Amino acid sequence: MSLVLYYFLTITAIYILMSWGLYLPYRVAHLHFLTVANMLISGYLAGYMVQTLEVPFSVALLAGFAAGGIIGYIVSRFIGDAPTFTVVIVGFTFIYISRTAVENIKAVGATMGMFGLPMVAGSPVMHRWTLLILLYALVVVVGFLIYRFEHSRLGRAASVVFVDKDLATSMGVDIKRLGRLVQTFSSLVAGGCGVIYGFIYRSFHLDFFTFHLVGIFMTVIFVGGYATMWGTVLAAPALYGLSLILPPAVASWRIVIYGAILIAVLVLKPEGLITRRLAHKLETTLSRRRKR
Amino acid sequence: MNKKMLSLLAVLLLIASIVGAGGQGDSGSSGGAGVVVEEWEIPFLNSLTGAIASIGEYLQWGAERAAFEINEAGGIAGKPVKVIGVDTALEPQKGVVEMSKIVEWALVALGPVPEPVIMAAAPIAVENEMMTMTATTSLEYAEKFFPWSISWFPATADRLPPLARDWAKDYGVKKVVQFVGIYGPWPGMAAAHVVGIKEAGAQHLGDVEVPQDAVTFGPLVVKALGMNPDGIIIACWPDKAAKIVQELKSRGWTDMEKILLFSSADDAALYTTGGADLNGTIIYNYINVDQDTPRWNAFKEAYQKDHNGLQPPSLSTNYYDAVYMIKRAIEETGVTGDPKKLKEERKLIAEAMFNMKNFEGLLFKWDMSDGVPTNKPGYLFQIQDGRKKLVKEIRN
Amino acid sequence: MQTFIAQVINGLSLGSIYVLLATGFNLLLLVAMIIHFAYPQVVVFSMYIAWVVLRYTGNSILLAVLAAIVSSVLLNLISAPLFQKIMKNREEVDINTTMVLSLGIGMIITDILSHGFNKGLPIAFPAKLVGETPILRVGVISLMGGQVASLAVGIVAVSGIFLLLYKTRPGRAFRAIAEDPNGARLVGIPLLRTGLESYALSGVLGGLIAVLLAMLLGYSSPGLGEQVAHKVLAVSIIAGLGNLAGGLVVGLALGILEALVQGYISGSWSNAIAFVVMLLVMLFKPRGLFGIKL
Repeated sequence: MSLVLYYFLTITAIYILMSWGLYLPYRVAHLHFLTVANMLISGYLAGYMVQTLEVPFSVALLAGFAAGGIIGYIVSRFIGDAPTFTVVIVGFTFIYISRTAVENIKAVGATMGMFGLPMVAGSPVMHRWTLLILLYALVVVVGFLIYRFEHSRLGRAASVVFVDKDLATSMGVDIKRLGRLVQTFSSLVAGGCGVIYGFIYRSFHLDFFTFHLVGIFMTVIFVGGYATMWGTVLAAPALYGLSLILPPAVASWRIVIYGAILIAVLVLKPEGLITRRLAHKLETTLSRRRKR
Repeated sequence: MNKKMLSLLAVLLLIASIVGAGGQGDSGSSGGAGVVVEEWEIPFLNSLTGAIASIGEYLQWGAERAAFEINEAGGIAGKPVKVIGVDTALEPQKGVVEMSKIVEWALVALGPVPEPVIMAAAPIAVENEMMTMTATTSLEYAEKFFPWSISWFPATADRLPPLARDWAKDYGVKKVVQFVGIYGPWPGMAAAHVVGIKEAGAQHLGDVEVPQDAVTFGPLVVKALGMNPDGIIIACWPDKAAKIVQELKSRGWTDMEKILLFSSADDAALYTTGGADLNGTIIYNYINVDQDTPRWNAFKEAYQKDHNGLQPPSLSTNYYDAVYMIKRAIEETGVTGDPKKLKEERKLIAEAMFNMKNFEGLLFKWDMSDGVPTNKPGYLFQIQDGRKKLVKEIRN
Repeated sequence: MQTFIAQVINGLSLGSIYVLLATGFNLLLLVAMIIHFAYPQVVVFSMYIAWVVLRYTGNSILLAVLAAIVSSVLLNLISAPLFQKIMKNREEVDINTTMVLSLGIGMIITDILSHGFNKGLPIAFPAKLVGETPILRVGVISLMGGQVASLAVGIVAVSGIFLLLYKTRPGRAFRAIAEDPNGARLVGIPLLRTGLESYALSGVLGGLIAVLLAMLLGYSSPGLGEQVAHKVLAVSIIAGLGNLAGGLVVGLALGILEALVQGYISGSWSNAIAFVVMLLVMLFKPRGLFGIKL
């Protein structure tokens, strides 16, 4: 496989997973930016474990997931049913705290970053295949879980919470518990993504995890469609790929183009390119074909 | 055949062999033997868009200027050279894809720029055994990728203390506070300044951290002045450095030569933000803009013509020199550009540069020793009306 | 003691930036029900327009002020239909969608400033505007004209807008069409004209804020808006959305807190500590310290 295709596929998978990590809490109207902090914390933790403590990558990856999940769970105990603004502020706070902490911790390279992380398998080719397979296995697993969530009572409850919290409460939905569930899950996924993201580059630098990432993932969700999980699958490779194929003269205006696409979609197709109706229609068509 | 004819023939043969040998030894004027490329293409992984686009612009300018001059003089081994700007937009996720494309065909690459992209993309070059010339970063970053990278700067711990020491000594500075931007290698550079200050017999009172998103500098400056320094070192972003100087002035600081700005602050943003408030401050860097040589004068004139009269920033020469270094490496090693020999020719070029001796840079000569430059000077300048006036040259 | 006083003054100066921006942010919220996350970027754009006018008119401050106001008004009027379109079907403030829309607008503005002005380099305002010497200096205490002006105007702006919105007919009309356009129409309020006036008002304020920031900071850069946007949003939320007086108090308090942290603890931790304090406030008072005023 060519390196170009490898990086395109791996970064796209990260975009999909992280955008799902934002999508899921958004189902209950929470913009859960804590996920970017989870990427950073788990990533650096795993990097330290592998490089300094010589712990196997698989253990470090599990630790990364666990760290993300634990932080997400603890925080969600406070903000599981909080107003949207509170969740936004929490996310910003953790991003600032985690960045500042890493800047000041020499053991993880501080402002210089961590270099030369070991490969996760014996050779560069095996290293790449391992990460690629791992990432897409994660995409399948997380995608399956989100799909099951969407088509369950929990998913329907989330839809009600999104529209009207008071109505949801009166219908017996435990908003706090639901919020806790989605936030914890998204933080767990983000933790794992942070680990893999760094091992794709075999290095960690603070500028890998900035507020800019928040903008990217939000664009993916809202352009792809915030009402279903499938929009992300479409938008992530398209938006990432667009930045790679634009001719140089046009590429210099890339951010303006992204902003314009985002605005155009929000105004003309507020639900995004893949709406709930379209997704439902496709699912129905596919299931009819399967029955035949 | 009589003797006269034989003698004439011998002389003609002698002349022909001298001319032939001279032609082969003259590396610039004729097509090198075996060169298969029509044009030498050198990719430059650069931040042409994004937060440091203004820096990326003049780095690109320097590299293209070198290519222009080389082509005017006949090219590299008789073939023209072209620098291809490859934008990474300061994004590691873009940098890795662009580097992946480059390693499929390039002999050598310029960049990447800056550090986050270096960290993400340089390992790809190392894996493919291709030299990347990271000419704007410190040794501490470049050496992680040796021998497939070279450093443009000696070790921070060797390079910086003499500059800080001489400044402190020459201006009678006894108690120093340092403003440090929390970014990349700057804390390490700040630590090296402290070594130099102590060598001068001065006291380091403390560091004041400058956050990346600081918009006002009163609190930081008051903190610094509260320590009662008589000297200030500023090691942070150029525009913030300028604002700190202005804030110091507004709080009564008058000894401008007792403010030392570090090299990474020496950028257009410093001068456009600080203006006349910078007059009298001392700054250190690695090129002397007041040199008077034809080559430098031509470079400076061309830069000023394209940049509304601004002086060339010191980093603008780095990739200019890098392109010339590539030229010399290609010509000395007899590399042909044959895609079938890509791996071995990459190795030849890398080895040639890693220990290149007597390299004639735009402003001075230096030697590379295991990828690290030796005998490169540093300079102290005093800023006056947006220009740097040479105060002192310092060599290790 | 002198250092402490100097830091408090620094904090008030920094806080006045937050107050000014939060006031404009809250005004848009009150008259149009918009969470304009990129409001600081709009103001920074107006700063750049003012700078261009200063350059080409020999530093004519009056023309620069007018240009800043006009550009801010125009930007507001251009973005108004976009916000209105996406808000059409929502009956309450839709933070998420308007935040994302304003994120897109902010991205465009920042990138245009990076490309189209001064080669992306920071811009400096003339000394005549900024003030060449402090109006007061005692030891490390220093007070520039711009600092006094921005704080004074910030307080006046908050008071003036409060009076306008709550004590005058036009102000009540602005709030009426924001809260319930149908109801407003029924009582005879001309929607289009009133809506345009409300956007124009926030544009005028935005232009004035741009000039004040130019006086206070003396410079601007493409990333300046993004650097303060998080804190402006946080100040508005902590104070209580739409709460003008609350925004004044919280903005100044945040500025003082940051200055004291930078001065006595650490520059690199100032953001983190400031956000932790704000977070704790949010956890105990989710509707803001002074209550939502929408």
